[in-house]
Amino acid sequence: MKKVLWIASLLLLPLTMNVQAAGGYSIELESADNNLRDQASLKRGAVLFSNYCMACHSLKYMRYNRVARDLGWTDEEVISEMAHGLNTVTENVMTRMEDGVSRAVLGSDAPDLSLMARLKGDDYIYTFLRSYHQDDQGKWDNKALKGTAMPNVLEGIERHATPEEYAEVARDITNFLAYAGEPSKLQRLDLGWKVIAFLLVLLLLLYLLKREYWRDIKH
Amino acid sequence: MSNQTNESSSEKSSLLGWFDERYPVSSTWNKHVGQYYAPKNFNFWYFFGSLALIVLVNQIVTGIWLTMSYQPSGELAFSSVEYIMRDVEWGWLLRYLHSTGASAFFIVIYFHMMRALLYGSYKKPRELVWVIGMLLFLVLMAEAFMGYLLPWGQMSFWGAQVIISLFGAIPVIGPDLALWIRGDYVISEVTLNRFFALHVIALPLVLVILVFMHLVALHHVGSNNPDGVEIKKLKDTNGIPLDGIRFHPYYSVKDAMGAVFFFILFALVLFYAPEGGGYFIEAPNFEPANPLKTPDHIVPVWYFTPFYAILRAIPDKFLGVVAMGAAVVILFAMPWLDRCKVKSIRYRGNSYKVLLTILVISFFVLGFLGTQPSTPLYTKLAQIFTALYFMFFLVLPFTSANEKTKPVPERVT
Repeated sequence: MKKVLWIASLLLLPLTMNVQAAGGYSIELESADNNLRDQASLKRGAVLFSNYCMACHSLKYMRYNRVARDLGWTDEEVISEMAHGLNTVTENVMTRMEDGVSRAVLGSDAPDLSLMARLKGDDYIYTFLRSYHQDDQGKWDNKALKGTAMPNVLEGIERHATPEEYAEVARDITNFLAYAGEPSKLQRLDLGWKVIAFLLVLLLLLYLLKREYWRDIKH
Repeated sequence: MSNQTNESSSEKSSLLGWFDERYPVSSTWNKHVGQYYAPKNFNFWYFFGSLALIVLVNQIVTGIWLTMSYQPSGELAFSSVEYIMRDVEWGWLLRYLHSTGASAFFIVIYFHMMRALLYGSYKKPRELVWVIGMLLFLVLMAEAFMGYLLPWGQMSFWGAQVIISLFGAIPVIGPDLALWIRGDYVISEVTLNRFFALHVIALPLVLVILVFMHLVALHHVGSNNPDGVEIKKLKDTNGIPLDGIRFHPYYSVKDAMGAVFFFILFALVLFYAPEGGGYFIEAPNFEPANPLKTPDHIVPVWYFTPFYAILRAIPDKFLGVVAMGAAVVILFAMPWLDRCKVKSIRYRGNSYKVLLTILVISFFVLGFLGTQPSTPLYTKLAQIFTALYFMFFLVLPFTSANEKTKPVPERVT
């Protein structure tokens, strides 16, 4: 039995190492330290996303009513908080910018952000939002993604906030995008231990049953 | 016990009797389960056969439900997977059961194959059990490869692009062959459609038929065991092997226990690390397939990486493809390459123990190297371990012919 447990733990070991974190980013990523269970943070993040990101970016796989249900808003609240009362709840969270405008103005299409957190990781988004800087000529760039076409849209907030307040803003947006990457994640985490608890009881019963049957086998 | 054998067929008035006269219900059950005598000394390694069957059922059942919501078109494939993840009731669970199941399948099968190498389960009279099993492994690899294209993410697309282009390295027919497989000059919706058809019906059908044959062959010759002793040699007066116990209830209850233990590990991954640390679901696959943008680092899923490392270790592309193919195909020959009469590693000589250790280490090192970008050091290492991998099969026929073995006991221990 010991041997089995040992092999089992060895098998699970590689899963604790994150390949994605080892991706070759030019700078050290800061820990976002966001918490999916912090609904206040998710709500703030959703509002910030709506006010600052949605001018260009969409969450095309996300529906307003799903956001409302998961973040603890009513259908009316989600539309007033995130869509200025202009959408219906069954619609997807889409930018109002027309196709091609971003390409014409900024030289690049704004990517859909539904899965950005799963593609790049929460820490990357957090670091990216905090890595804008101005060079001597006053030109903006981002240390996490050099030459990015995205302007520093949070500059106004950053200028008028303490570093702690700005970190909170970046964390809230990151948290909301982490949620949007996998809306069912909390359901998954909350169900998992119940399933495993049930299986542990079943394992005990089956072990006892097996021992009972195997009494007649002489070794 | 002997009166059970014909009990049902004699009771013609019973419902079972009615069926037995028309279909071999009782005799089939008895042959494969109720009165299938398995050695009583199975250990940890003998759980993986039944586990493989359970994972196969999981893949088929979750696969059927995924098919109900998945759209095999270039336009919709990626978003239909997200639709399953977000809008389909329990869709996320079905998808993760299927994706985690794919990796679990290979873990289980690699253990299952290792068991055969440890206890000589491929040897006479079980050569066909092994050969059918190897065919299963080949088909499983094709099944997994085609399934990986379906989410239509960046890694799906570029992984398939790289692997199919390998066929192009075959002299003369190569380019046309690659074109024929893809059905297009690049991976496209045409490729996606045919991979979908092969993944959801053609290959699963072949897998199920081969599993059936694998079990028929096994139950015909009887199971091997950790001592490599043939239990059929010593029977009691009723013709029942002295060291055999009925599969049901003894092994059905034991395998059920093993299955639940496996479910716990499976659930840990399923609920708490479904991406498998980026090995089971690779991060670039969260970006839709884009033929104009190559990912920085194309890596096959972990279960193919040992073979991928062998491919990259050979400087010539065609010879690399040959080596990769040979690395799998040579396993078919195990029953004839290994000439030692003793089956179990418990009673075999040191030469086999050393060789097998080298093979296992090579497999793990190659598996690691296959996940890494190639650097001069890693390429050198991959070449060394590729050589060691093949050395196992080339040296074995000579060392096994006159191996210094220990005496094998009459009965299982």
